[in-house]
Amino acid sequence: MSITRATKKRVLGLGVLFVVLALLPTVVKSPYYMHLVIMTCDNIILGLSFSLLYSTGLLTMAAGAFWGIGAYTSALLVMKAGLSFWIALPLSGVCAALVGLGIGSIIARIPGIAFLIQTMIISLIIPEVVGYSDFLGSWGGLLGIPGPSSIGPLRFIGKTPYYYLIVVLLMLNVLAFVALYSSRVGRAWRSIRVNAQLAETLGINLHWYRLLAFIISSASAGLAGSFYAHYFQALEPGMFTAFKSINVQIFAILGGLNYYIVGPAVGAAIMTFVPELLRVGREIEPVITGAVLILLVIFLPGGVLSLRERLGSFSWRLAKRAGSDEVPAEPGLHTGD
Amino acid sequence: MTVELVVQLLVNGLSIGMIYVLVASGLILLLGVVRIFNFAHGEYYMLGAFVTYGMCQLLHVNFFLSIAIAMVAISVLGIFSYRLIFQHMRGDILLCTGASIGLSMMLQRGALLGFGTQQRGLHPPVSGSLAIGPVDLPSEKVVAIILCIAIMAGLYVLLMRTKVGKAMRAVKVDNEVASLQGINTNRIYLVVFTTGCALAAMAGGIIAPVFSVTPTMGNVILLKCLMVLMVGGMESMIGGVIGGVVVGLITSFGTFYLGALSEVLLFAVIGVILVFKPGGLFGEAH
Repeated sequence: MSITRATKKRVLGLGVLFVVLALLPTVVKSPYYMHLVIMTCDNIILGLSFSLLYSTGLLTMAAGAFWGIGAYTSALLVMKAGLSFWIALPLSGVCAALVGLGIGSIIARIPGIAFLIQTMIISLIIPEVVGYSDFLGSWGGLLGIPGPSSIGPLRFIGKTPYYYLIVVLLMLNVLAFVALYSSRVGRAWRSIRVNAQLAETLGINLHWYRLLAFIISSASAGLAGSFYAHYFQALEPGMFTAFKSINVQIFAILGGLNYYIVGPAVGAAIMTFVPELLRVGREIEPVITGAVLILLVIFLPGGVLSLRERLGSFSWRLAKRAGSDEVPAEPGLHTGD
Repeated sequence: MTVELVVQLLVNGLSIGMIYVLVASGLILLLGVVRIFNFAHGEYYMLGAFVTYGMCQLLHVNFFLSIAIAMVAISVLGIFSYRLIFQHMRGDILLCTGASIGLSMMLQRGALLGFGTQQRGLHPPVSGSLAIGPVDLPSEKVVAIILCIAIMAGLYVLLMRTKVGKAMRAVKVDNEVASLQGINTNRIYLVVFTTGCALAAMAGGIIAPVFSVTPTMGNVILLKCLMVLMVGGMESMIGGVIGGVVVGLITSFGTFYLGALSEVLLFAVIGVILVFKPGGLFGEAH
C-alpha cells in the first residue's frame, strides 16, 4: 500500500499544526491573548458539535444549553460531591450525553424546522430552570469553582496548563470526529443529509443515526462546558442563553458549513478575536454581530473557506476568457472536511 | 377554588392566548406559504407596541387608530426586510434562520439603545371592570379578546373568501403549479410576509395597555409562539389557534398555582404531546 501525495501532505500539515500548537505559549506571553486562544479552542469544540449535527441534516440551537449542562454538572460534582476534576470532566460529558439521549429520543424524530424550534426552546428554557433553582445557585450563579487538582508536577497556575489541557481536549474531539466522519457512521450521516428517504430505503435507521449524532454532539459540548467551568471558575445562567447557541451557529456558518472540521475552527477564531480586537462596546455588539450575520448569509452563504473556491473559479473563468493555454483545474466540490 | 377565580384565570389565559394566536398565525402563514421561518417576528411585535405607545401616549391619538398606524408602519418595515433580506433565501432554513436571528439582534438592541430599558405603560382605552353576575372581569382584557377574535375572523375571510387568499392557499400547495396558473408568486410571498408583520404589530398594540412595553418583550412572545407551534403543529391555522389558547391557559393557571414553575409545566406538556404526536396536535409527522 503506497502512501499517496495527498496523505503525505496531510500528515505534514498535521505535524506543523502540532508543533505550532505546542510552541504557542512560548511565543504568546500576554495572558490576555492566551485567554483568547483558550476561549477559541473551547468555542471550536462547540462549533464542531454543531457541525456534527449539521452533517446529518439537523440544525441545532441547543449547543449552548448542553455546554451549560456540562459546566454545571462538573462544577456541582466538584463542589458538592467533592470529586476530583479529572473524574468530573468525563462524568459531565456522560451526563450531557444522557440528557441528550432523553431529549433527543423525543425531538430527533422530525428533522428540519421543527427540530430547530425544539432545540431553541431547550436553549431558552434551561437557563430559566437553572435561574429558579436554589440548588443550582439561582440567578447569582456558582462562584469559586476550584481549578483542576494538580497531577504530579503539573499544577494549574497561570494560563499555560489550561491551554495545554484544552488543546488536548480539542485534539481528542477532532480525532474522534474525523474517525467518525470517515467511518460507516459518518457515511450514513452524510447520506441522511443528502437524501433521507433514499438512505432509509438502503436500510439506514434514520432515527437511530440522528439520535446518535445528537448524543455525541451533546457529550462534546458538555466536555467543553466542564473545562470552561473550571477555567473561568464562575458560572451564571446568563452565560449559556440562546445567545451562546446563536454564536455557535455563527461559527459554523462563518467558517463554511461544508467544512465540518476546519469551518468551525476558522469561524470560532474569527468570532473570538475580531470583536475583542476591535474593542466593540458591549452595548453595540449585538447590532454588529447581527449585521455581520445578515451580510454573511446574503453575500457569502458558503462561509469564509468557500472564498478559496470562489476565487479559484473566478481565476479559472478569467483564464478561460483570456484564452490562455495554462488553465487551472476547475475546483471540485468539497463536501468533506 | 371559587367560580369567580376560575373565570378570571380563564379570561386572563384567553386574553394572552389570543395574542399568541395572532403572532403565531403570522408565523404559520410564513412557514406554509413562503417557507421561511422568521426569528425576528417577536421584534415586529415589540416595535408595534412601541409605535402604538408613542402614538397613543405621546401624540394623544385614539387607541384604535394608533394600532392601525402601528400596523401600517410595521408593514412597511416588513416589506423592506423581506425585499432586502428574506427574498434571497426562500426555502433554505439555515440561511433564513441565520439572517432572521441577525435581524432580530439588530432590531432588539437598536430598540434598547434608542428607547432605554425603562418600562412603559399605556393607559387602558377602556378602564374599569365588567361585571357579569358575581364575576368582575378587567375590561381591557375583554376588549383584547374581542379584538383578537375579530381579527382572526377577518383573517379567515381573507384566506377563504377572497381571490388573494385563494392564491395564497394555491401557492402553499404547490408554488410552481400556482405560478403556471398565472399567480404572481413573488407578490404573494410579499403579501403574506406583510400580513404576518401587520398581525404581529397589531398584537403588540393590543398588549400595550395590558403589559408594560419594553425592548425585550419580543423574546418572551417568540418563546411562547415557538411553544404554540409545537403544541398545535406548524401546518394549519386551526392548530395555531388551539395551540395558542392551550398555551395561554396553561400559562395563566400554571402561574397562579405553581408560580415560576409554570414554564416547566408548559415544557412538560409539550414534551408529552411530542412523544405521542411528534408533529403537534394538528400537524403531520414527516
